Amino acid sequence: MTHGSGARRTVSVEGISRVEGEGSLLVEVRDGVVEEVALTIFEPPRYFEAMLRGRRASEAPDITARICGICPVAYQMSACGAVEDACGVTVDRRIGELRRLLYCGEWIQSHALHVYLLHAPDFLGCQDAVELATLDRAAVERGLAIKKTGNRIMEVVGGRAIHPVNVRVGGFYRAPSRDEVAALAEPLRRALDSALATVEWVAGFEFPDVEGEYRFVSLRSPGRYPIESGRVVSSDGIDTTASGFADLSVEEHVARSTALHARIEGRLDYLTGPLARYALNANELPEVARQAAAAARLGPVCLNPFKSIIVRAVELVFACHEALRLVEAYEPPDLPAVAVPARAGSGAGATEAPRGLLFHRYELDGDGLITSARIVPPTSQNQIIIESDLRRVVQGALDLSDEELTWRCEQAVRNFDPCISCATHFLDVTVVRS
Amino acid sequence: MASDQRVVVVGMGSEYRRDDGVGLAVADRVAQAVDGVSAVGPLSDPLDLLGLWDGADLAVVVDAVQSGAAPGTVQLIELDITSGRGAAGDPSGTTSTHGIGVAGVFRLARAVGSAPKRVVVVGIEGQDFSQGTGLSPAVDRAVEHAARHVAELIGEGR
Repeated sequence: MTHGSGARRTVSVEGISRVEGEGSLLVEVRDGVVEEVALTIFEPPRYFEAMLRGRRASEAPDITARICGICPVAYQMSACGAVEDACGVTVDRRIGELRRLLYCGEWIQSHALHVYLLHAPDFLGCQDAVELATLDRAAVERGLAIKKTGNRIMEVVGGRAIHPVNVRVGGFYRAPSRDEVAALAEPLRRALDSALATVEWVAGFEFPDVEGEYRFVSLRSPGRYPIESGRVVSSDGIDTTASGFADLSVEEHVARSTALHARIEGRLDYLTGPLARYALNANELPEVARQAAAAARLGPVCLNPFKSIIVRAVELVFACHEALRLVEAYEPPDLPAVAVPARAGSGAGATEAPRGLLFHRYELDGDGLITSARIVPPTSQNQIIIESDLRRVVQGALDLSDEELTWRCEQAVRNFDPCISCATHFLDVTVVRS
Repeated sequence: MASDQRVVVVGMGSEYRRDDGVGLAVADRVAQAVDGVSAVGPLSDPLDLLGLWDGADLAVVVDAVQSGAAPGTVQLIELDITSGRGAAGDPSGTTSTHGIGVAGVFRLARAVGSAPKRVVVVGIEGQDFSQGTGLSPAVDRAVEHAARHVAELIGEGR
């Protein structure tokens, strides 16, 4: 929708909507200079942190999983990590590997969804995935088939494809049998081939020539690309535990938004997610993913946020390859879960949700009840960067028509695969020029 | 009763947003009442319908709605197989990050040849979407009523 007359122009897009959320993006341009970029969120803050107080620590994975329908495993894993940290428990290696396999399933689901159905249409001039399917049905079918493989992992390890129910503090309720896990190998081989085709496909898109300046933050786990565990590191020298990072990270309430904005204390914004993981851990990718990245001319660090779709596709290759490795090496744990006796204390858990670092910090009493909880989703952490990136993108694209500029803004927001249902929701874009 | 038709009953929404949990409550009630039907949900993203409903003869998607009707009002909307649109218009926010609606997902499924033969959306007017669990009384009373409608729909095809 375009309004305006003379020198002042307003461009607004509506229709970025969903039942539970309300928010908007406002961009103000005056005399050719971007003055204001504001991500405004009206959605009431989520009360999950309050809801957890007084609940048993063992309930945390199931309750927090309901924050997001896209990345419930991320919430479950960070919740388990925080409770186990507080109780001083480390899980069996085989339980840890099973968690990693489940988490690969979520990465595969989420990245396939974002690359094919949400982000690719932006690059191909399609209004949505439906239009893309009419132009290139094979591509959409490939994306859906990859996603389905992620669903199968979730079913086998997590008990069901959406909102898995098999996860508990200390491990799982039931470990899948060797045969059940082995049946995942063939679909994963096909998904790996499709993921490689995905990298080739997206590398051929046209990308705006934009580079951001980012302070990257991700997990790092020696010898492996980080997913379910690791220390929190940054491109400017932070190297700490999940608990240490929870101390460093502060959240601010911004008047216009009901989502909190996270910063590192004493510093400015930071970016989590595929670009950060890749920049800080590319050397840990398996050869097949490194080769795909090289063929896509990605380089060791990617600073063009529009190329996050390539990084996501490379991570899709990694996740399929890693899941296949875990499937082939699978040995059921002796017991599906280790005991986690209650004790008073605090603990933090940090894992890599598909769209970035997710950390939980809980205080528990001696009866195993949660006395306080803090949950920091990736989109809260990336929100400041989304705004500063938009400022840069708009400034470099003022020659575009209102319609094209609005398109570019939405595309720039989608670069970050924001999970508005975690951080809240996102609704419309307004560009004011005067 | 022919039982060879494949029926999927999905509850959309979140049981942590009070009346938004009515979709799953109805789906569960249908699964108890009708042999051979299992409830799926709660789904918070309609895109998850892809794969779940592939090849179904009938997919029933139950969700809370806010249309201004009295709380507990039950509405059945059959999506048009040719256009993918429902009688209530096209609710798909197709440019959202996660916000593609049921009709949008239906159109996408049609484009890739995996759509169910028939999709019926059952909307139950909600009253309280605040944080917390439990349905408000009028919505709770509508669960049985909505479940009966769904059972009848399933019965028609058998």
